[in-house]
Amino acid sequence: MDAIRTTNLVKKYGQKLAVEDLSLTVRAGTMFGFLGPNGSGKSTTIGCMTGLLDATSGEIELLGQRFTADNAAVKRRIGVMPETLGLFEPLYAHEFLAFVARMFGLDEPTTRLRVTELLEALELTDTSKTLSEYSTGMRKRVAFAAAVIHSPEVLFLDEPFESIDPAGVSLMKQWLRRFTEQGRTVFITSHVLETVERVCQEVAIITRPGKLVWQGDITALANDGAVVCNGQEFRALEPLFLHLTGERYADLKWL
Amino acid sequence: MNTALIGELVKLRYKLLWAKTRSRNGRIALFLAGYLLLVLVIALLASGGFGAAMLAVRSGKAEPVAQGVLAALFLEAVLASNILGFGMSAVFAETELRRYPLTAADRRIARHLTGIVDPFWFLFFALELGLAVGLYVMGAGSFWFGFLAVLLLFAANYLLARVVGLFIDQLMQRKGGAPVLMGLILTLAFLPGAAAPLLQKHPAFVSAVVQRLQYTPPFGAAAAMIHPDATGLYGLVIVVTWILGLAALLVWLEKRPPRRQVAESVKIEWDSPFDRVGALFGPRMGPLVGHWLRFYSRNSRTRTFCLISLPLLAFLTYQLGSQWKVAHSFFMMALGTIPMLTFLGTARISVNQFGYVGGAFRRYFLLPIDPAATLRAASYAAVTIGASMLPVGLLAWILFEPYPFDARMLLMLLCTGVTGLFVLNGLGIWVTLFNPRKGNYTSNFGNDLSLGGNILLIGGMLVAMSLPRLLHKFLPAAVSPESWWMFLPLPALAFAFYLVTLKSAGPVFVTRREKLLAVVEGRD
Repeated sequence: MDAIRTTNLVKKYGQKLAVEDLSLTVRAGTMFGFLGPNGSGKSTTIGCMTGLLDATSGEIELLGQRFTADNAAVKRRIGVMPETLGLFEPLYAHEFLAFVARMFGLDEPTTRLRVTELLEALELTDTSKTLSEYSTGMRKRVAFAAAVIHSPEVLFLDEPFESIDPAGVSLMKQWLRRFTEQGRTVFITSHVLETVERVCQEVAIITRPGKLVWQGDITALANDGAVVCNGQEFRALEPLFLHLTGERYADLKWL
Repeated sequence: MNTALIGELVKLRYKLLWAKTRSRNGRIALFLAGYLLLVLVIALLASGGFGAAMLAVRSGKAEPVAQGVLAALFLEAVLASNILGFGMSAVFAETELRRYPLTAADRRIARHLTGIVDPFWFLFFALELGLAVGLYVMGAGSFWFGFLAVLLLFAANYLLARVVGLFIDQLMQRKGGAPVLMGLILTLAFLPGAAAPLLQKHPAFVSAVVQRLQYTPPFGAAAAMIHPDATGLYGLVIVVTWILGLAALLVWLEKRPPRRQVAESVKIEWDSPFDRVGALFGPRMGPLVGHWLRFYSRNSRTRTFCLISLPLLAFLTYQLGSQWKVAHSFFMMALGTIPMLTFLGTARISVNQFGYVGGAFRRYFLLPIDPAATLRAASYAAVTIGASMLPVGLLAWILFEPYPFDARMLLMLLCTGVTGLFVLNGLGIWVTLFNPRKGNYTSNFGNDLSLGGNILLIGGMLVAMSLPRLLHKFLPAAVSPESWWMFLPLPALAFAFYLVTLKSAGPVFVTRREKLLAVVEGRD
């Protein structure tokens, strides 16, 4: 079964094209990497897939159902960690997480239990600070906790590992692996290609403006194998990415 | 001193000002600001600058008029710069300037130079210079003494505004600082009106006060403008002494940055009153309403305005009612002011519901609910807080009403209060949707409402103060206790308007969400 499917997805801001005719399929139970250069439309695509933005045209299916912004039933089954985190800064972490949990329909005892467990696991036990006073890494952990608190079936994570310390990243990766082992799906955007290479089974690479240039299985890379693209062999994700998106070189004499 | 870098920073300040005009809201703001400034300059140059000088000389009271004009401008600049934020927000923060290769002294100079070259301060400089030039042209003063006096007064004025600003910052960081400050402002605002009758009765007290005022910067500058001799020189010395004193105080205050009082640790509280009140709206809306109640209540400005709205409106009712020499004048004024009691405390957020959530706005669209429920919940929270003010206001009326108890009056006040609650919050929803603005949730001062928000809030206050008089003039029966029954349908009509607004605003909210997102995240 496909967890995510987009068909001819187009998103325009006025006349500006942000996503061009994107057709993508993500199998359930996959850790899927969604890669592209800055400004290539990754966050816009996630915005369309999660109901934040309206697609200009095209179709989105999540968990076998057609998805639109007001499809609450599907939204209840997905978790999202947006790039901007979307935290209510005047709140304390436990208040924010409890709010999200209740909005996703968790009952009171489950909410308390999960919030407490998440705060402890993610070392967010400093209860004297509001979210506005947290460091970037801590805020990221809170946003991650908010995305997983209701045990979603599909998890969208926009740049999840940036600013988080190695111990935090290791814990998150462990959780995400277990998550996919249970048949659930993770859709990740990241610029940290080494991490994507290690955790993802499949990746899609897009270029500006949101145009899919390659999608394929990369499990071979984690086992010292290679991926073939356009008749060339690539033993790591970075050269493949640069090959597809265009390597840039500028020699600044003064630098 | 690194004059080149400081010059670049001043230029950057103007570039940033100009950059704001690139957005649609910025262009509208620029047009309105330019238009208002033009009107203001014309009006004030006539009454405050050159025109005032002509009047001063022709009336034969050059010095008292100059003193009055300069004192008014001086106070106006201090109040406007601090309360409305004019000419203060332009000052770069110390932390921003630390990125550049500047010494501590350079940073201080750069900060204050970028602050003082704000167009706001130029307006006051022009007005004061207009007065000095006018006095010189009319033969009542020396140009160079006047010019020097204006320059020095300008510097003293800016320094005092900054000192007051820093004092406010420090006060606001303390527990209970916000209400104390608002109390001080209200006292300052209403002191002249309250003290006027007292001063009329005791003219000797007035002359004693004027005598003391000779040692203030505006009076010193006025003396220098009029007297090109030892008296004028003495006036200049007074202003210079103030400048030195204020500069020393400013440096001292700047070296004591405000420290936020942080609790050592906070025990996780699961059973919150916000969630309990929110639960009254049902299991689906409950968490969302509770969330918005928390958002409103945790805002220091909302708390402050909720606290001061009753005394403020009570004072207005008393002040305007006592000036209006008709029967039941206090009651009729209260009919106008009580609707504002239900709105004033929450107005800043309820006319711009998403302007203070920033990127968290995205979160509402990720929740498994009808997105419009967010808009409704925010409004329910504002209505709940506003409604809680109504019994307090009615109780205050029962306790302090200057008439024998009349249940009809109480019923009429209740009706107008409920009407105002629903109408103003309904209108607030439309302003939220069509004229949002990115604001700073934690800022305690400055006017960060959009044009629509200002129109609703200020217009609401004006209507509150003028409608009873208009009704009394053209339809006196409408505000008489005998016509109590006429007020009964008003709350129902207002509630209907509110419900229709909620229903029709939902789809608009969903349609405009990308536009709203751009505004609240500061991209428009």
